[in-house]
Amino acid sequence: MTTARQPNRLGEGGLIDRSQTVRFEFDGAPLAGHPGDTLASALLANGIRLVGRSFKYHRPRGILTAGSEEPSALVELRTGARREPNTRATMIELYDGLSAASQNRWPSVKFDVLAANQLFGPIFSAGFYYKTFMWPPTFWEKVYEPMIRRAAGLGRGAGVADPDHYEKAYAFCDVLVVGSGPAGLAATLAAARSGARVILCEEDFRLGGRLLAERYEIDGKPARDWVETVEAELEAQPECRILRRTTVQGVYDGGTYAALERVNDHVLKPLAHEPRQRLWRIVAKRVVVCAGALERPIVFGNNDRPGVMLAGAVRSYVNRFGLAPGRRAVIFADNDDAFRTASDLAQAGIEIAAAVDGRRTPSRAAQEAAEAAGARYRAVAVIERVRGLHGVKGVEIRDEKGRERMACDLIAVSGGWNPTLHLTTHLNAKPQWNDRLAALVPGALPPGMSVAGAARGTYGLAACLAEGEEAGAKAASECGFAASASRPRASDESVTASPLWQVAESKGKAFIDFQNDVAVSDVKLAACEGFRIPEHLKRYTTLGMATDQGKTGNANGAAVLAAVTGRYIGAVGTTTFRPPYTPVAISAFAGHHRGPDFRPARLAASHGFAEEQGAVFVETGPWLRALYYPKPGEEPQDSVNREVATVRGQAGVCDVSTLGKIDVQGKDASIFLDRVYANTFSTLPVGKARYGLMLREDGFVLDDGTTARLAEDHYFMTTTTVNAVKVMQHLEFCQQALWPELDVQTVSVTEQWAQFAVAGPRARDVLQGVVDPAYDLSNAAFPYLACGEVTVAGGVPARLYRLSFSGELAYEIGVPARFGEALIRAIMEAGAPFGLAPYGTEALGVLRIEKGHPAGGELNGQTTAHDLGFGKMLSTKKDFIGRFMAAREALTDPLRPTLVGLRPLAREDRVRAGAHLIPKDKEATARNDQGYVTSIAFSPSLGHWLGLGLLSRGPERHGEIVRAYDHVRGGDILVEVRPPCFIDPEGERVRG
Amino acid sequence: MAKRPFHAVSALAGLAVPTRLGEGRGDPGVTIEERVGLGLATVAARKGQAEALKGAVASAYGVELPDGSRVAHGPSISFVGYGPGQWLAVSESLVNETLARDLGQRLRGLASISDQSGGRAVLRVSGPRARAVLAKGLPIDLHPRAFTPGSAATSTISLMGVQLWQVDDAPTYDLAIFRSVSASFWRWLTASAGEFGYEVVGRER
Repeated sequence: MTTARQPNRLGEGGLIDRSQTVRFEFDGAPLAGHPGDTLASALLANGIRLVGRSFKYHRPRGILTAGSEEPSALVELRTGARREPNTRATMIELYDGLSAASQNRWPSVKFDVLAANQLFGPIFSAGFYYKTFMWPPTFWEKVYEPMIRRAAGLGRGAGVADPDHYEKAYAFCDVLVVGSGPAGLAATLAAARSGARVILCEEDFRLGGRLLAERYEIDGKPARDWVETVEAELEAQPECRILRRTTVQGVYDGGTYAALERVNDHVLKPLAHEPRQRLWRIVAKRVVVCAGALERPIVFGNNDRPGVMLAGAVRSYVNRFGLAPGRRAVIFADNDDAFRTASDLAQAGIEIAAAVDGRRTPSRAAQEAAEAAGARYRAVAVIERVRGLHGVKGVEIRDEKGRERMACDLIAVSGGWNPTLHLTTHLNAKPQWNDRLAALVPGALPPGMSVAGAARGTYGLAACLAEGEEAGAKAASECGFAASASRPRASDESVTASPLWQVAESKGKAFIDFQNDVAVSDVKLAACEGFRIPEHLKRYTTLGMATDQGKTGNANGAAVLAAVTGRYIGAVGTTTFRPPYTPVAISAFAGHHRGPDFRPARLAASHGFAEEQGAVFVETGPWLRALYYPKPGEEPQDSVNREVATVRGQAGVCDVSTLGKIDVQGKDASIFLDRVYANTFSTLPVGKARYGLMLREDGFVLDDGTTARLAEDHYFMTTTTVNAVKVMQHLEFCQQALWPELDVQTVSVTEQWAQFAVAGPRARDVLQGVVDPAYDLSNAAFPYLACGEVTVAGGVPARLYRLSFSGELAYEIGVPARFGEALIRAIMEAGAPFGLAPYGTEALGVLRIEKGHPAGGELNGQTTAHDLGFGKMLSTKKDFIGRFMAAREALTDPLRPTLVGLRPLAREDRVRAGAHLIPKDKEATARNDQGYVTSIAFSPSLGHWLGLGLLSRGPERHGEIVRAYDHVRGGDILVEVRPPCFIDPEGERVRG
Repeated sequence: MAKRPFHAVSALAGLAVPTRLGEGRGDPGVTIEERVGLGLATVAARKGQAEALKGAVASAYGVELPDGSRVAHGPSISFVGYGPGQWLAVSESLVNETLARDLGQRLRGLASISDQSGGRAVLRVSGPRARAVLAKGLPIDLHPRAFTPGSAATSTISLMGVQLWQVDDAPTYDLAIFRSVSASFWRWLTASAGEFGYEVVGRER
């Protein structure tokens, strides 16, 4: 078993299961690790330090951290459709069969051609894009863009659809705890013991936070034992829910938090029926942020070489993952905490070449820690340069005595810690600079939030435990649950900072932002060019703009900017942290809503029938409607022509269930309708329907439709499909806000009725074969605009309306939706002898354009009743919504474009919707623009194209020839202005 | 007259087919049933008639109309509050249109009634994981401390409007959705219930 050898794995210790082997592959090489490993730890255990190439200069990069802040160790995870680029090796839980590859390198990570970019470093400096791609403008599309696209980006996307399912979920709790380090566990325990509903979110797959990585003791026992005890107790609390592998990504109004749970990222492929990831929306009365702190590097020459690692990460790899990240280490730090690493390294048998203390005054604690571990303590010293290309081979140290070269393969670096305060700022609170900690700490907190432990700048273990417990108990008690304290005992380390930030005398590139390759020189240049505010510096240099959002780089960037501009760092400020805290895949935001479920589709009751008939569907609002019903071999236009001809010649049937339908009831229903419609409805007799026009408050047309009076106090209103919701909202507003005194009740019954239009000269014959014989459909008994209740199929309740959109003899018949499918089949059967055929929305459109009825193209929110030729419908005998504003000068201007019909002068010409109407002999300029074409159709009834349009003084110009000039498609034809109605202008057919 | 009698097609016909699906190990986490043939109607109190309506409903149907987002069950009709003076009436015995007709006769002048029996699909989701399934789309807290039998809510699930009410502590929930989105809703529901295993119950249709 050659793959099982892990040269850097320690013989014992850590939270890995050495009894089991996990096999994986990196850049095609078979390797092995253990359960409990991350990809990063497994690579290190296998002696692999070089993991990828950097973004801009293609510099060799390794593993800097052991957490989600990792800027360097980005890999392509998985293969094929599941390939995911820019995945942090430190966050990938190792699983059997894992396959990962280094990225941004060609042909291999060791030998990368584009590494030559480093030679051109000066070109790629701050503001590179802005400076380089300015001119000539013609180069943009052909030269610059393709060049940038080829060079930019890191990993490759899968390029095919993600085969996995993602979902969203809602959770509610009294107390949400973010992070399960000492403060988080103490907070959760205190809150959970009170009986409050608690949710604990931990980004890691294991609870414990830093306790997993350190050799602390709590209550006299190893801290890990305490973690296990607490975990067991929390698991047993019925109202406590632990979400592992879950990162709280954002804070939103009203105590709402977004959290991403990586449900199945740690297995080869998601378990059947389970999502890959779940995006939680958590609503919590209180939140306790115990997100810990992020260590920051020191900026020095070649500080990006594989083998340079944060001191805390070194301790994680040694203590938690049981491996030696190097054989000979140098510690380079400016705080006592980091020199504790010496003891951990020594216990793991790793030689310590030197402990280099960058502070201006020697530290006794650091010296003792170093020397106790057998390391040479170098006070007031710095690393000027790292030697080695593909990994650390040594360092050049300088102190008061001079320079010294030293061999090593690991540099444990620490420039102190930054509280992880991102969540405290998502609602716009500004963090505050704290001199004692030399870091930003949370400022004003959003409502319901408290912060405990390192996230607040409290670094001692005992203090973290106490603070966490107190915060958890307080949060619970604010939710009405009494909490008691238990106070676990632990020692406390004091933390003071005197940060070094950067080694000014560095040789070689000294990096601040590893992921975006921003070095000290870039910040200097930017400051020189006037970009002296962190927000500006960020945009100009891209510092902090990578997927890690500068978690390890921002503080150093601000410090360098402060130094360069001679300012106090506390006055420099910071950039704004926004959600998400770590990168989230778009799929997680989409959740279930992709493909056909991008949004819900509304299907009419006859949908199955239409599918059977081979209908082609179209989205109209949320509905899927049959567009046309092609017969085998029929082109779309042929199908539409045939459907129109069938309606004009025999009869057709069309599903109109999608129209909005609203029951308007109550003693004052008539008054209500008189106010919401521009025309009068109180005079409508029971058993009759009327066309109605609704205006907005501002006087423009809102919607139109027919409303039938079923009883004295019961109207049945219809709206257009697209405006159904808008009209319902409008009515509710009128009812509740404008006239609450009226006795009127409205409710949508759109879904209740499956409704079909049967239109054509044989429509009556067809319906007689459907409606029960007791009902007389003759013109005398059931004239145009009649309506009433009937029964079909021997007693099924139905409503019949004699309405026409097509201009033909036509009816609409509605049945409860469960009978919709039966009704369409009955209509088809009854209509067969008369040549009836189904028609879709395309034919519906042609029929109404031939008839000059305005619809979507004309009811566009910019037209008035006058514009549409409905001026006479505006009642002068009553008040109604929009009446006053419709009388405004501009809205009654006779020059306003008004509805006309348009017929091409050359009959073979095609009229185009959107074409502008210009006087015949005038130039096609904006000055001469007098209107435009709103709807077009090929009229099979007339044998040529025709259009509807809005033309200034339209009705006065019938017979005039104008230009229809189409800028977009280059069309320029002559059309004759006509009355909008092309078919049966006297309206004899509808009354037939 | 139509040549043959009309066959009613329920909203989830062909979808809610009795079967066991999703995770197959152990007992199903939820059972799902389409409640077909229900009488459904909206009841909206006429202006100033709220008290009279309550009295009329109490004497006609033996149930007190609930205030707020609650459901009250009478011997023949349950009333689910969904707005001030607005209820969805649900009945197993007064099926389909007969419910609206009955309400219309008995509550004449006191309430506006609209038949909705064809416009809604009512799904019954029950079982130990019912809350976990609904949490994947419903932004309402169903924890027993917040929502109990008798509680009702008008909300959305996965962008679709829903009225739901809790039936018992199993827990069992009834969900009324709009008929036209049945297929979309079914895809959401089955995708969400899959990991717990679910059983579709009801008669074969």
